[in-house]
Amino acid sequence: RGAWPCRYLLCEILCEDPRCRQCIDERAVGASVKDAIARAHGDYGLACCSVSFTVKYLNAYTGIVLLRCRKDFYRLLWSALPFVTYLENRSHRYSCCFNTIHVGGTIRACQKFLVHYNRNQLLLLLQNCSNEEERQTIQESVLSCSLKELEEEQSQSVDEDDSAEVDRTEA
Amino acid sequence: MAVFADLNVPASPDRKSLQKLLEAAAHLGYSTVAINHVIDFKEKKQEIVKPVSPSELFPSLPIVQGKSKPIKIVTRLTLVVSDPSHCNVLRSTSTNIRLYDIIAVFPKTEKLFHAIDRGIYFEVLYTPAIRDSTMRRYTISNALSLMQICKGKNIILSSAAERPLELRGPYDVTNLGLLFGLSESDAKAAVSTNCRAVLLHGETRRTAFGVVYTKKPPRPDEEEGVLPVRKKAKTEA
Repeated sequence: RGAWPCRYLLCEILCEDPRCRQCIDERAVGASVKDAIARAHGDYGLACCSVSFTVKYLNAYTGIVLLRCRKDFYRLLWSALPFVTYLENRSHRYSCCFNTIHVGGTIRACQKFLVHYNRNQLLLLLQNCSNEEERQTIQESVLSCSLKELEEEQSQSVDEDDSAEVDRTEA
Repeated sequence: MAVFADLNVPASPDRKSLQKLLEAAAHLGYSTVAINHVIDFKEKKQEIVKPVSPSELFPSLPIVQGKSKPIKIVTRLTLVVSDPSHCNVLRSTSTNIRLYDIIAVFPKTEKLFHAIDRGIYFEVLYTPAIRDSTMRRYTISNALSLMQICKGKNIILSSAAERPLELRGPYDVTNLGLLFGLSESDAKAAVSTNCRAVLLHGETRRTAFGVVYTKKPPRPDEEEGVLPVRKKAKTEA
């Protein structure tokens, strides 16, 4: 299924400034990642990733993003992620870093991991809550972080047309 | 699941910022962190003070992501030496030195660098490579030279992070290790089992002491590639 086997990198974007979260969108994340790839691996790396890299999912509340890459290039992408140091939005740069929490061969594998991860996160975050409203907000935003829809999407379209992805990644 | 450590988190009088670093390290999955106190003998006579007990400094330690235990803090002393006489302090029976869990030495000259051979662990810092492009090139090329010599064994990777966002998770650091010329298994060992070995040696430091040697980053006019690495050496006293 699909023209090429893929690797999915599940990452968490960590920031200090809360305004950084507003930058978490496909364009900004894609741009920062590609910039890091260019710095770490030059034109070759950038060229490889332009045929195989997509941002599949993001959640601005939890900072979770799912990146997809062709299996033969995923190490190139993964080794560039530590070099991401900012997200940019309207010429404002906000410091951040990427924490790779899981690498999987399928969206389902990443979803399974995410459920686990969210549960742990939730427990830790709820421990530090001071009021009920805070608890509710945190609970909602963490539990809404899910790749379920993507998973269903993927299982429906068995022959995913990878060429369609190419246009989306041209910034 | 493997146990990860970052053995170089610079000490700072700012307890709040250090606390934030520890929280970030725990969130990223590091089980142990070494707080590094650097003493430079070239500067006015510096005293080796007793390390502050981590439990005093941080009454509540954050829980490590993926484990149910709080992060463990150990103490590290790095001595910057530019003269062989500076090393004498290592052999002295100064009780304060013995209180540190890890002892490191940063040699400023190549002669001192070659003074140790057996049981050395080399430390490669990854934050300089992330901070700017020139340091990235030096770090990678020097690390590659280092790997030629030591075949990728006995390497530890650490951060020397001053801010939480300079830290990277253990799996990401493992990948950086690949860029530095380490194999997959050596890179993973560099953030886990090798660090553990360093700590164990530190613990048994009655008859042995742990020594780390580092070199300053190369200046553009220097011909010979000097390694911006720190070595941890265990020598039987």
